[in-house]
Amino acid sequence: MSQVFHDIEKKIITSLKDNPKQTPETLEKSTNLSPDQIRRGIEWLKLKNLAIVNESKTNVISLGKNGIESFQKGLPEKRLLDLLKNGPKKLSDLQKELGPVFGPAIGLAKKNNWIESSSEQISLKNLPSEFPGEKTLKQIANNKLLENNIDKNDLLVLLKRPDFIIEDIIKSKEITLTDSAKSIKFSSFFGAIDVEAKVPEIFVARTHPLKDTIDEIREIFVTLGFSEIIGNMTQSSFWNFDALFTPQDHPARELQDTFYLDGISAKKIATPEQIRKVSESHKKNWRYYWDINEARKMVLRTHTTCVTIKHLAENKPDEAQFFSLGRVFRNEKVSYKHLVEFNQIEGVVVGKNANLRNLMGIQREFYKRIGITKIKFWPTFFPYTEPSLQTMVYNERLGKWIELFGMGIFRPELTKPLGITKPVLAWGGGIERIAMLKYGLDDVREFYNNNLGWLRSVTKCQ
Amino acid sequence: MPVIELSYTRLQKLIGKVSKKQISDSLPFLGLDIESEDKDLVRIEYSPNRPDYSTDFGIALGLQGLLGIKTGAIKLNIKISKKYRISVKPQVSKIRPFVTGIIAKNGKIDDKTIKQFMTMQEDLHFGIGRKRKKSSIGIHDLDKISFPLVYTTTNRNHKFTPLNSENTQSISEIIQDTDVGKGYGPILGNSSKVPIILDSNQQTVSFPPIINAAITTVTTKTKNLFVEVTGINKDDAEDMLSVVATILQKAGFALETVQISGAKNSTPKLVQKKILVSPMLINQMLGLNLNTSKIISSLKKSRLDASVKGKNIICTIPAYRFDIFGPMDLVEETALGYGIQNLEPILSTSQTLGQINPISSQLKSLSQTMIGLGYLEALNSSLTSKRVLYDMTNRNTSKMISVLDSKSLEHTILRDAIHPGLLENLSKNIHESYPQKMFETGTIFSIGDPISEEVSFSSISAHKDANFTEIKSILQSALKTGFGIKIETKTTTHPTFEDGHCATVILNGKSIGVIGKIDSKIIENYKIRVPVVSFEISLSESIFDTKN
Repeated sequence: MSQVFHDIEKKIITSLKDNPKQTPETLEKSTNLSPDQIRRGIEWLKLKNLAIVNESKTNVISLGKNGIESFQKGLPEKRLLDLLKNGPKKLSDLQKELGPVFGPAIGLAKKNNWIESSSEQISLKNLPSEFPGEKTLKQIANNKLLENNIDKNDLLVLLKRPDFIIEDIIKSKEITLTDSAKSIKFSSFFGAIDVEAKVPEIFVARTHPLKDTIDEIREIFVTLGFSEIIGNMTQSSFWNFDALFTPQDHPARELQDTFYLDGISAKKIATPEQIRKVSESHKKNWRYYWDINEARKMVLRTHTTCVTIKHLAENKPDEAQFFSLGRVFRNEKVSYKHLVEFNQIEGVVVGKNANLRNLMGIQREFYKRIGITKIKFWPTFFPYTEPSLQTMVYNERLGKWIELFGMGIFRPELTKPLGITKPVLAWGGGIERIAMLKYGLDDVREFYNNNLGWLRSVTKCQ
Repeated sequence: MPVIELSYTRLQKLIGKVSKKQISDSLPFLGLDIESEDKDLVRIEYSPNRPDYSTDFGIALGLQGLLGIKTGAIKLNIKISKKYRISVKPQVSKIRPFVTGIIAKNGKIDDKTIKQFMTMQEDLHFGIGRKRKKSSIGIHDLDKISFPLVYTTTNRNHKFTPLNSENTQSISEIIQDTDVGKGYGPILGNSSKVPIILDSNQQTVSFPPIINAAITTVTTKTKNLFVEVTGINKDDAEDMLSVVATILQKAGFALETVQISGAKNSTPKLVQKKILVSPMLINQMLGLNLNTSKIISSLKKSRLDASVKGKNIICTIPAYRFDIFGPMDLVEETALGYGIQNLEPILSTSQTLGQINPISSQLKSLSQTMIGLGYLEALNSSLTSKRVLYDMTNRNTSKMISVLDSKSLEHTILRDAIHPGLLENLSKNIHESYPQKMFETGTIFSIGDPISEEVSFSSISAHKDANFTEIKSILQSALKTGFGIKIETKTTTHPTFEDGHCATVILNGKSIGVIGKIDSKIIENYKIRVPVVSFEISLSESIFDTKN
């Protein structure tokens, strides 16, 4: 199989075939690639065993600030002697002429016995043929030089002087081709890329996984012939409890289970007739003093059943199938299996098909459509349905039966006072629980964490 | 729901010839959920409407029926006795007006039985007794009491030795110092008088609904029992007594009456009631076609009596089955006796056409539009906290809607905006790669009549180049593509947004929301290191026109 090369690799190989030993810098020039492209290309070739990279370190020297000045204007001591060539000069004149290098120039000239000084004057004594260091200074100035090409003694003179010379270490790379690379012949097919290489990850924008489950469930019920109704999350206790035959002293109505809105009561809760008949049903069956102020207290709905019953009481249909879907609230401690706020689906059937077996049939069909086939029904109790059942579904991953939807037929004690004469099948349950099974989650809180790590990675089509 | 622990071997003794497996298979079909099993012990959860299932005696009665070992209604055999009397003084009528009771003789009581009685008592107190407020029970050693008794009131300095104590204590001390006193004392309010049951020697028998006297403590040596129930309603007290009487009879006691008189009190009758039900209703509701004899045998398996009366079935309901209100309850009893596992689900073709609510479908389209614009959908709770909604975003708290007694500090306030939640989400994701772009649609709440709920739509974008122009482009495109509407923006100020980078969103001359760059101090407080831009608009006011 012929190897596939990136254009960068091809250019580098071609250049090295013409000129077998190169540095990255020379390759840049010969290939017209950027330093970064050269670096990457060499790296790729090295990994493919096509190029050999020899790294070496070299000491180089260049001129410092004072070195550059001395190169341009001459060494301070040379400039001093030049000034004295035409006869002795006053100390102050020399100082003015030479500026900051006056001190070192005088010092060096004296030390080498090139000058004589009297009280006020300086005069030339000897003029050297060559100044120490001058030759090397010129050499360095013309090029960055490798240390070993230079007269060591002469360099030492310069090194002793402050800021004349900068010493540096340069790492250099020498790139050569391996034998196998030398024999590579490029095909005439241009533009091939490394299709096996890793690519950057792009995060998709998407709907929330829980919303996907909600939409799926909504769609299933619509296709089963149910219509969606919606209602408020804040409800009077009347619709959340009283209309559903839950006595006012029932434990479920306590603060520790239900969220009451601080100091908020509804003025108008229902029609006078609805209020009268509901209260009569409570007094007769539960034997207690029914308090309208208790019914006025606003709560966060504990189920969507309040929306359903309100709709039924307003429309009194002879035949209907509808559902409501939305958030419900329970005053619970938040944990891996409990949320204070979660979604519930609830459906009802009114009409000639309203019987328990049909209610079970709807459940079975629904579960089948979300991929759950192992189900059974157990009797249970709800204050507002009679008979009441719950579905148990078997989860393979957890290896156990899990309780899902509850269901039943609305009690006549609650339908009659609201003028609903036909039997009403009702069922409902939490959606998060189904979504947890679907996404294999063990912690229900994940749905509301908005943790991008999870949202960006969870499989959408399940 | 209450949970009790049962022993399979004890149940087997109480039921008759039955295997452990038969019991565990049948429990769920009695409406009892198995919580856990450990060898001989099984923990089950029962529904509060069946207080008779608070002991293994009651569950054994139910299982005998379901398994066909003993069917039909349980009859209470109560010997009428004149020996035991309680007279009630009128002064109790303002505090706890009713007392009722029964005698149970010649029973065997072992530790396990005492434990069952105690859980029964606790569950009855908690459930139908409404934490002892409505009615409460005292179970006493009959042989330590000398009849007749008097149910009257006493002062708070009245002294006696209460249960589980060795010293005499005054009523005030019991209410102030003991756990039961502190827990249930408030039921009696502040009245100077409290209810008391005294025997003929002026010895205290019980201080209802708080505690019994130590002298009448039931032990494994006790043979004969006296049970009293006090309460604020005569029927409720007798209902509770009927459960205890049924359990005691099953536990092997012989029942005798207690004669009660005075201040509107009378001897309990614990009578059965009769309810008529039509087989047609049963078949119609269950979707079955059972003949009357099958219905009758099913009802009997549910431990009721039933017989044909004309076209109907007349059903006899024992007193302890006060959960049965009318014919629909008998539909359920038939289904239980028939066996829920024998009901085959059917699916009738529907005559109705399904329809998605228009708001749901529009929100779904809006989601799709936002996804097309590269935004990820977030979901936050509507019940959130003051910290997230107001403290972190500098918003005004004057119209805050809070809930009472939340068990979770992070869930105390109903949101009046979505974007504070999205900001909080960004702060939890600062280690994830940028850009981070999210949107959310959902309900927001405000004080109305009494509460107004609106659908709101918010988006947020965080990355190093995030700016006003970007977020305005997003809003503009979303609304144009989503709903074909065009908005304008007008300079404004907002505590959450940076001055000079904040605008009101205007549709047809009306403000529908806010858009801008989040104030840098807020971003800093949240430890977010890139600029953040956001908008939030009300869809109820602009699109759906359904503010409710």
